[in-house]
Amino acid sequence: MSGASARPGLFGAAHALFLKDLLSEWRTRTSTNALLLFAFAVLILVGYAVGPTSLTPEDRPAVHSVLLWIVLFFSAMTGLSRVFVKEEDAGTGAALRLSAPPHAVLLGKLLANLTLLGAVTLFVVPLFLALMSFEVKSPALFVLLLVFGNLGLASACTFTAAIVAKASAKGTMFAVLAVPLLLPPLVGAVMGTRVAATEADFFAGLDFVRLLVAYDGVVTTAAFILFDAVWRE
Amino acid sequence: MDLVSENLVRSFGSRRVVGPLSFRVGPGRVLGVAGPNGSGKTTLVKILAGLLRPSSGHAFLEGDGLRRAPRDASEQIGWVAPDLALYGELTAAENIVFFAKLHGRRADRGWVDETIARVGLDPKRVEKTPLGALSTGQRQRIKLAFATLHEPAVLLLDEPSSNLDEAGRAVVARVVKMQRERGLAVVASNDPGDLALADERVTL
Repeated sequence: MSGASARPGLFGAAHALFLKDLLSEWRTRTSTNALLLFAFAVLILVGYAVGPTSLTPEDRPAVHSVLLWIVLFFSAMTGLSRVFVKEEDAGTGAALRLSAPPHAVLLGKLLANLTLLGAVTLFVVPLFLALMSFEVKSPALFVLLLVFGNLGLASACTFTAAIVAKASAKGTMFAVLAVPLLLPPLVGAVMGTRVAATEADFFAGLDFVRLLVAYDGVVTTAAFILFDAVWRE
Repeated sequence: MDLVSENLVRSFGSRRVVGPLSFRVGPGRVLGVAGPNGSGKTTLVKILAGLLRPSSGHAFLEGDGLRRAPRDASEQIGWVAPDLALYGELTAAENIVFFAKLHGRRADRGWVDETIARVGLDPKRVEKTPLGALSTGQRQRIKLAFATLHEPAVLLLDEPSSNLDEAGRAVVARVVKMQRERGLAVVASNDPGDLALADERVTL
């Protein structure tokens, strides 16, 4: 009878999917180009419009924090939905459904999106700091906010992308579903970044990190609970 | 393991596309599904693959005293269909390695070459070409390799000979013959050559 083999565990399958997505992205560069071009264009516009000197020193931390997260937020909105949308557009979703456990698909796609967003962050943040002369007084807090803020953006965008992948108006649906979902962590990340820019004390902004960790935990857990129904129906 | 359909019905809105349909296919057997275009062959195969739910009735795999819905037994199912696509930006070997890993297969170079050669392609000739740049017939052969690489108990072939030349049709016949030794197959097609591979037939 059958010689069907035992499937790998969650992490083995997710790792295979993650590597496949990276290789696909490297070959096509569809998401990377969209994200980097958008981020670069916005950075240049913001640099010209606001610049390091057109704001009073008191206003700079608040305005710069908002602008930084606006760049990251819209970059995420631009590129992160592609992970699932391209599977459905190319017709490869069915092969994936038959071959991989749903949770491994979600984890693999989440890791791919995190990597993509991480690369964009590494590109955007140093440029932003240099162009805007944005001074960060608590670098450790700033890095934690970026890490957990990105995790929240990637988790919410990945799950939302799975929901809209089969819809006809994917772009509109993605924005309608993702924006309300992403507002709470964005508010926390912006406020925390302002604290990181004004206070040298790491603990002064720790509540915002806690908020992001809690948000990430809730969204990621909800995504893993609901994904099976979203992916297979 | 048997593949069983009990009063299977699938409707889209008020339009009934499949059924009611009942059959049982046992080990070593091949069921042919015939019918004109639009008669529901592809829909039936998708239900048997677990990619669609029936509107009523049941499809299940039965063996060792257990009944499993196709969607809970996907590791036992291989599927080829016109709307199945693999990753066009990856080579044939990269596709095979990726899906083999998802099925828990050790995909060393020798095994991958053998898998590609089994569907009548020269592994060296397609080594560096992205799947999207291969001919439709070559891609169809790689789909056959994809469907059988995990040695499934149930092989579902929807229009398996579409876009294939005579040599490709011989590959389909060989794949079906091998499948008889490890399980069962369902062949849905309009092609008399494909349907001739079956032991029994249902017409939609």
